[in-house]
Amino acid sequence: MSVADQTTSPTDQIATTDREAIRGDAVVAPSLRRPRPSNITLKVIMAVTGSIFAAFVLVHMIGNLKAFMGPEEFNSYARFLRVVAYPLVPYEGVLWILRIALLVCLAAHIWAGTLIWIRGRRARGSFRRRAMAASTWGARSMLGSGILLLIFIVVHLLDLTLGAGVQSSGFEAPVRTGEAAVDIHAYQNLIASLSRPPMAIFYSLMMLVIGIHLAQGIWNVINDLGGTGPRLRRIWLGIGLLISLAIVIGNGALPILILTGVIS
Amino acid sequence: MRIELEIWRQNGPHEDGHFEHHRVDDATPEMSLLELLDRLNDQIVEQGGEPVVFESDCREGVCGSCGFVVNGTPHGPVPHTPACRQHLRAFPGVTRFRLEPFRSAAFPVIRDLAVDRSGLDALIRAGGTVNVMTGTAPDADAIPQPHQEAEQALDFAACIGCGACVAACPNGSAMLFAGAELVHLAKMPQGHQQRGRRARQMVEALDEHFGPCSLYGECARVCPAGIPLSAVAAVNRERLRATFRGKAKDN
Repeated sequence: MSVADQTTSPTDQIATTDREAIRGDAVVAPSLRRPRPSNITLKVIMAVTGSIFAAFVLVHMIGNLKAFMGPEEFNSYARFLRVVAYPLVPYEGVLWILRIALLVCLAAHIWAGTLIWIRGRRARGSFRRRAMAASTWGARSMLGSGILLLIFIVVHLLDLTLGAGVQSSGFEAPVRTGEAAVDIHAYQNLIASLSRPPMAIFYSLMMLVIGIHLAQGIWNVINDLGGTGPRLRRIWLGIGLLISLAIVIGNGALPILILTGVIS
Repeated sequence: MRIELEIWRQNGPHEDGHFEHHRVDDATPEMSLLELLDRLNDQIVEQGGEPVVFESDCREGVCGSCGFVVNGTPHGPVPHTPACRQHLRAFPGVTRFRLEPFRSAAFPVIRDLAVDRSGLDALIRAGGTVNVMTGTAPDADAIPQPHQEAEQALDFAACIGCGACVAACPNGSAMLFAGAELVHLAKMPQGHQQRGRRARQMVEALDEHFGPCSLYGECARVCPAGIPLSAVAAVNRERLRATFRGKAKDN
């Protein structure tokens, strides 16, 4: 810093139009702006919304395991999600509260992540960092895996929730047959959809992507929320890897088993 | 031994830079990277050229003056070692070096390999000091402090402020540097008194000058002082702690 201290003249005295006057070793400091919201606010938003999604994906995976127990068990779970807490909340009330909460989380997560990425590029300047260690692979893949997961969410919703565009030919939407009764074909839809080889392979590969995104993301959470204790960080990292692995195996095996006819 | 060098030459902050090829025929394994540059500069001056500008001071790894990017890695191939302590004998297989200045929008190039690291000074001004008159050194037992805590504070105080963490970061973030300052001062009896205010000011300066952290971990890998990655988490912890305690509290 010694060279800079000796040679930098006060930048506020240099008119920006007077470029000719700026010669020699005078450095014009980069213009400063305090970004709003702050970087830490964005990181906390990412950590909280990401954690909500991680919890959702974990519960979703446990729900999916009901497919191993047969059509009745799987469909009754789907029915339960629609009539839970009825009549305290309306039919599908809890389901819609969860859907809206997840949608808000998704929007906030994408918004904060994009902003952090843009700010990072800007702060780095025009020379990209090269020759990074292999250990940075997880962090470097986050943007790419995030985009892939967004595509997956759209496909998944079209396929098995909305039944539009990419759904299987046998798709049947749930039909409400009474106050707290609903005719559900979730299991049949699942089998019909994942009996298509391209769809099954797409689902299984995407579970791998989710696993990678989660493993890195859960590690980011403990750093973003300020966990500094060595033991806490070790345990957190271990639990994060276990959750990621459970989701890759639990969810990823399902399409393969359906495709090979083990579950039908 | 013969060393081939690709060196970034830039004739001033507002000139365009380019790589220049040089060869040092009489390099020895005992030379550090800075001594290699010294030898090269002798050669360039003998031939009537302009020597390569680079910063250095103590050349024993404590001042934080030196530093440039060597073959894509800040400071050079040996991890946790400043450029002045990177000797050719440590990487005998490498005879081609590509030297460029620390790259970051916060570090504009002054000339050749010298960059302006005033952004780090701004962080120190924001929160790198203790605003109480401590007078002359007190007796060792005047202000008791747990031994382990003192040791941890010293571990984080080891930061030499070279800026390699910023140059290593794909996001141009200085979280490791800021974390080292915050942890070290928060653990000291005098520094503890303005722990919250320091965190607020430091994070504000961080946002103004540097990028956000995406936890690549490259900073901790190159840090010559061995500051661990948990320093990054410490910045977030200190700032969140200040939020929860409220603006009315300085500590």
